[in-house]
This record gives sequence, structure tokens and C-alpha cells, in this order.
Amino acid sequence: MTTLLDLRSVSLSSGSNHRLKDITLSIQQGEKVALLGQSGSGKTTLIKVANGTLKPTIGKVLWKGIELNKLKRRQKSEIGTLWQDLKLIKELTVCQNVNAGALGRKNALWALRNIFGLIDNENCRKCLQVACLEEILMNKSISSLSGGQQQRVAIARLVHQQPKIILADEPLSSLDPQIANDILNLLLTKRKNSFYTSPNTCVVSLHRPDLLEGFTRVIGLKSGEIFFDIPIGNLNKTNINKLYL
Amino acid sequence: MILNKPVLCILPILAIVPIASNVFYDIHPGGINLLYNFFSSALNPSFESDVLYAVFNGLQDTISIALIGWSVSLFFGISLALITSDIFYILFKVPYSIKKFLKILLSIPRGIHELVWGLLLLQILGLTSWVAILALAIPYSCLNARVFSDQINALDKASLDSLIQIGSGPIQVIITGLWPKIFPVLVSYGGYRLECAIRGATLLGVFGLGGIGTELQLSTQSLQFREVWTSIWVLVISIFCLEKIIERIKDINKIQKNIKHFSVIGLIIISILLVISVIRLGGLNINTSININSITLPSVKSLLIAINNIDLVKLISQTLFISLLATGIAVGIPPIMSMLFPTSIGQDVIAKIYMICRTLPSPLIALLLLLFIYPSLSVASLAIGIQNMGVLGRILKENIDRNDKFIAIAFEKSGASKSSSWLYGKFCQQSNSYLAYSLYRFDIILKETAAIGVVGGAGLGWKLQESLSSFAWEEVLIIVATFISLTMIGESLSGSLEASLNNKKMQSFNPTPNVSN
Ligand SMILES: Nc1ncnc2c1ncn2[C@@H]1O[C@H](COP(=O)(O)OP(=O)(O)OP(=O)(O)O)[C@@H](O)[C@H]1O
Ligand SMILES: [Mg+2]
Repeated sequence: MTTLLDLRSVSLSSGSNHRLKDITLSIQQGEKVALLGQSGSGKTTLIKVANGTLKPTIGKVLWKGIELNKLKRRQKSEIGTLWQDLKLIKELTVCQNVNAGALGRKNALWALRNIFGLIDNENCRKCLQVACLEEILMNKSISSLSGGQQQRVAIARLVHQQPKIILADEPLSSLDPQIANDILNLLLTKRKNSFYTSPNTCVVSLHRPDLLEGFTRVIGLKSGEIFFDIPIGNLNKTNINKLYL
Repeated sequence: MILNKPVLCILPILAIVPIASNVFYDIHPGGINLLYNFFSSALNPSFESDVLYAVFNGLQDTISIALIGWSVSLFFGISLALITSDIFYILFKVPYSIKKFLKILLSIPRGIHELVWGLLLLQILGLTSWVAILALAIPYSCLNARVFSDQINALDKASLDSLIQIGSGPIQVIITGLWPKIFPVLVSYGGYRLECAIRGATLLGVFGLGGIGTELQLSTQSLQFREVWTSIWVLVISIFCLEKIIERIKDINKIQKNIKHFSVIGLIIISILLVISVIRLGGLNINTSININSITLPSVKSLLIAINNIDLVKLISQTLFISLLATGIAVGIPPIMSMLFPTSIGQDVIAKIYMICRTLPSPLIALLLLLFIYPSLSVASLAIGIQNMGVLGRILKENIDRNDKFIAIAFEKSGASKSSSWLYGKFCQQSNSYLAYSLYRFDIILKETAAIGVVGGAGLGWKLQESLSSFAWEEVLIIVATFISLTMIGESLSGSLEASLNNKKMQSFNPTPNVSN
């Protein structure tokens, strides 16, 4: 087994607010980790620290043994994030947003051509397929899509990025149960076509302890600290109740 | 290809193609050498004492002219804004039709560029400091009036109504209800107008109305590039300081807490500066210099003859052509520059270049370009384009800095290059307002084309200069009328385009399924 993400005694505080306290954990290839915790417990903060958008005040974060800020562009693109607010670009079409996933391996000229709509959309089509979106949506504007459709566009963009790990921040909030199940399936089950092999590693922060099917490990966060970090089999009602107390 | 807003912002850069190809063939043999000399003098300006004396003397004149013109335009701007605002007609029960009439009346002087005012007034008043001051004060008053009255109309009427209800007199309503709300706008917009006034006064100087502009023009024409750079640096540094001071004062919250203090202190400072300026300009020679030259109104017949003599279609199309190409450069270059140099050092350097560009009056840029390129429409477009690029570049950067940076960071951390992250994470969000501002800028460029034509040998501006120097008043009248109609048409066109942009913006917040792009 290879270690992908490695957080070593990571703390983060802004002012007197200790958002993360001495967190040490490593994610092995093949693990599917559920991140649980009350609102404000630090789930989003942990994900931001893990993908490098927040710098810890103390401690180190390594990707395959290399510190995050020393990664090359290609290596950075191996860490894929599904943001809680999706971070889609309203001014661009669905297809252009999906293509933006490939920016980690493309140059600025390609980026400009995509803005002008001059990129072949074959790859985009395959990504939409993986994310179960109809092709006809390709040239629509983001704002004309429903919430669930937008979420799938964000996933299609992630597919185009071809990451080795997916960090997903509450991908199920504000979705109705049926769609929530579909999205979770998308993230957890192995998918493969000519273009894409889904990574078998992910960290998903969740509000709902009832949707843990398919995960292999559960981490509970409480006030910025790891409250438990156990295989899914060891999880029981008392753990959960104490976490949300 | 998809014509979305980011593309519409970048596409105008294509204007560079015709300009570059024209300019390339028009470079004259000795030109490259002069160009080299000019730029190599940038870091080696002249520090000789007589040069420094002349430059600082000129700067003081320019600032004095700008200050007086600006204060006058603020005073009249506020007064005119009041009598053209809705609330005035409610308070004083004046018929509404007067307001409409006033608004149209005010849009006429606004449609004429300050340089055209300068050239006209020069004929009437002769060479005095009054010319430059009035040339600034007249159009700026009307511009201020429009901006301020729009602001007053946008205010929440309810609080004013309640003041009226409890029986306050009209003056009381204005002082207690209106002033505190309008004052912050007055400070931030008024501050920006002061910058414009200094630029305008410099520009008038280039045409011989005194001050640092005249110094710049003289040393450019005698190819004293080291002296040119002395003036440029002095100007750039003064405008930079002014921008910093205004940034400090602009802080709306601070102002709102201390409106009384700010009003009184501001008034005192402005009065002191005004007195110094008036003394500096020699008491303005009020009695001696105003000897209105006699101008007889042209007859209808002579007007018709003049219309036949002027090739209006050609002049208008030249003017439009210059304006469009210039807008293309001004709008299209800033985003591409930021993409090419996305590092913070790169951005800093670009910001400094923009500052020099917007400090130099466009006719002066044209004069500099004419040192090594033969005159053509392209040179005129290039000169206006460069100057306005300096303005748009700053607006773009300010807006982007104010916006959420996190999307760009997220792109960067997922492996996108700095340029791509800037484009997707910062620029796209800003494209709608950038586009709207660019439309507004087109109006200003259209007006400025009048000024540049004088140097570039093309368009209405050049013809105006010619007609003025041959005292062909009929032609002058026709050309000025054309200017006014052009800018009015331009304003209403870009106004409605802007409105449709804003509508679209609203729509994008309001998800409407089944609407395809
Ligand atoms: N930008 C910020 N600056 C300072 N403190 C912040 C910031 N964002 C969040 N926090 C604080 O950090 C702590 C953890 O917040 P975080 O957003 O990570 O929680 P969360 O578990 O994701 O909550 P939720 O379930 O509501 O999304 C909270 O106490 C919050 O107040
Ligand atoms: Mg969160």
C-alpha cells in the first residue's frame, strides 16, 4: 500500500480561533474515508489544508512524500477537490467548465482557446457521460441548470482533471435523497471508460451518518480535533452520538 | 467560437492587427533611432536647475488651473444637480417640464471635449488663464451635475419624505436629509474628478495654454527627451501622490461617522488652496484680459455653403474609425497583459506602466509617436488607445483585487498555471462589469478623438483646428454641432447596451431552465 496524503501534526489557527488542533493522519491508496462532524467542527478547513488552499500554521502536509508547496503542476492536479459551493464559472458554458478541469496539464494558450470555445469537445463529452449528464447540456450556461445538474458538472470537471484522490466537501447537502445516492455512487464506485479510470481513493465530508455504505474508514472531527479514526466496521451508535453531543 | 462575455472583453484586441500593419509601413527611417533615444532617456532625466525650475513652475500653474476649474465645477455641479434632481421639484413645486429642458440643455456643453472648449474660448477671450479654467469648468460642471443628480435620485425617498412630513423647510431637508448621504459620493467622485482636472489642464497645456503641458510639448518638439522625462516623472509622481491621498480619504465608513468635520475641514483646505492658486495665476487679470473678440453670427445661407464645403461623412467616419480602434486597444490589451505577466512583480510593473500611460495626455503620446511614424489614422488610434488603456487597466485591477480571490487559488492548487488561474478564477467573474465600463469608456474616447484629430491630421478635430485658424465660423459651428450629436448618439447607444448587460446580469442570478445559450 502506498501513502498518498500525509498530514503531520497539523494545526491551524486564525487569531485566537483554533480551527484545527494537532491533526495527524495519512490516507492510503484505495481508502474511502468519510469525514463526520458537527457544523463548525473543521471539516471544510481540513479539506482546504489537505489540498493546499490553506496553509497550516504548524505542521506539514505531504502528497506522496513531497510537501504540497513543492509540488509540480502535474502533481498538484493529482489532488482533485469537489467544493461545497462547486466553484463553477457562471460566465462560461458547461463544456468550458468541464474542460477547465484539464488546466493542470495544459498551457495558457489552451486555456484561452477554451474560453473562445475553440477546443474539441470529444473529451468533454466522455466526462459528461461519466457524470451521467446528457450531452445536450454541453453548450448551456451554468445558471440555467438545476442544483443537481450543476453538481454533476463539477464532477465532470473533476473527471477531466483525472485526479488520484478526490476530496469532496459535503457533496450531498442540499440534494434530495435519490440524487444524493446517485452522486455518492459516482464518487465511490469504480468507473472506467476509454478516457477515465476513477481513482479508488477519496475523502468525503458528510452531514449524514446514514449514508456510510461503501466507505472503508470513518474520521470524526470535534472542535478541530480528531475525535475518532476507525474502520467502518468499528463504528457504532455510541461513537456517533458522542460525536454529535 | 462562442461569444461569451470574457471573449467580448478580449476580442477587441484584434484592433491591433490593422494598427500594427499600418504603423509598421509608416515608420520613417530616422525613427528607430529617435525611439531608442526617447526610451533610453527614461532613467536619465535632466536635473539641470533651469529645467527643474521650469517644470515645477509649470506644474504649479497646471495644478492651480486644475484646482480652480475643479472647485468651480464642483460648486456648479452640486447646484445644477440639485435643480435637476427629482426631489427639488417635489420640495419647491416647480413644473417637471423645466427639469427635462434643463437636462437636455446640460447635455450640450458636456458633449464637447475640454480641448474643443479651450480652442473655442481661446478665439473669444484671447490667451489668458481664464481660457483653461473655463474650458475645464464648463464641461465638468455639467458632468458633475449629471452624476450627482443620478446619485440624489437613487437615494431612498422615504427618509426625505418623513422629513417633509414633519414640516421641515426645503433648505433644511437638503442640509439634514440630503447632504450626509451625498457627501461620501461627493468625496470619492469629486476626488476622481480632481485627477481628471489635472490631466485635462496638462492636456490644455500641450496646446499652448500654459503649465507643465506646454513644457512637455516644447521639449518634445525640440527633441530634448531628457527634459521630456523630467516633466513626465514629475507629473507621474504628483498624480500618484494624489491617487494615494484620495484612496485614503475615500474610506466611506470613516467619512460617514464625521460628516461635519469632513465637510468643514474639506471646505477650509479647498479654500486655502484656491486662494493660493488664484494669487499664483496673478489674480487672473480679471479686468484687463477679457476683451471679447467680435464674432458675427453666420447666416443660414453661409452655413449651407459651409456644409457643402466640409466633407462631413468622411470626417465622421474617420472619427468613428479612430474611436473604435482606440477602444479596441484600450479594452483588449489589459486582460492579455495580466495573463502574460500574472506574477505579483509582473502585475506591479504593469500597474506602473498603466500609470504613466494615463498620466500622459493623448495628444502628447501622439506627438511622441509622430517622431518616428508618419501621421495616419492608426497613429491617432494608438495614442488614444494607449492613454485609455492606462485607465481601463487600473479599473480592471482594482475590481479584481476587490473580488474573491479564492477561486483563482483553488485553480492554482489543482495544477493550473498562474495565467490560466487568473483568466478563469479572476477575470471571468469580472468580465460583465469590465464590459459595461468599456462601453462607458467608448463615449469618453469618442469625445477625446476630437482632441487627437488635431495632432493626427484626421477627423473632425483636425478640421476644427483648420476652420478655427481660418476664422471660418460657419464651419466651426457645424463641426461643434456634429461633435455634440455624435457624443449624444454615442451616449444613448452605449447607455442602452449597458442596460441590457445589467439585465442579463440579473437574469444570471435567476435560474431560468429551458433557456439555451
Ligand atoms: N475564513 C475563516 N477565518 C477564520 N475562521 C474561520 C474561517 N472559516 C471558518 N472558520 C472557523 O473555523 C472553524 C471550522 O470551520 P469549518 O468551515 O471548517 O467547519 P465545517 O465543519 O466545515 O462546518 P459546516 O458543516 O458548517 O460546513 C469554525 O469555528 C469557523 O468559525
Ligand atoms: Mg463546511
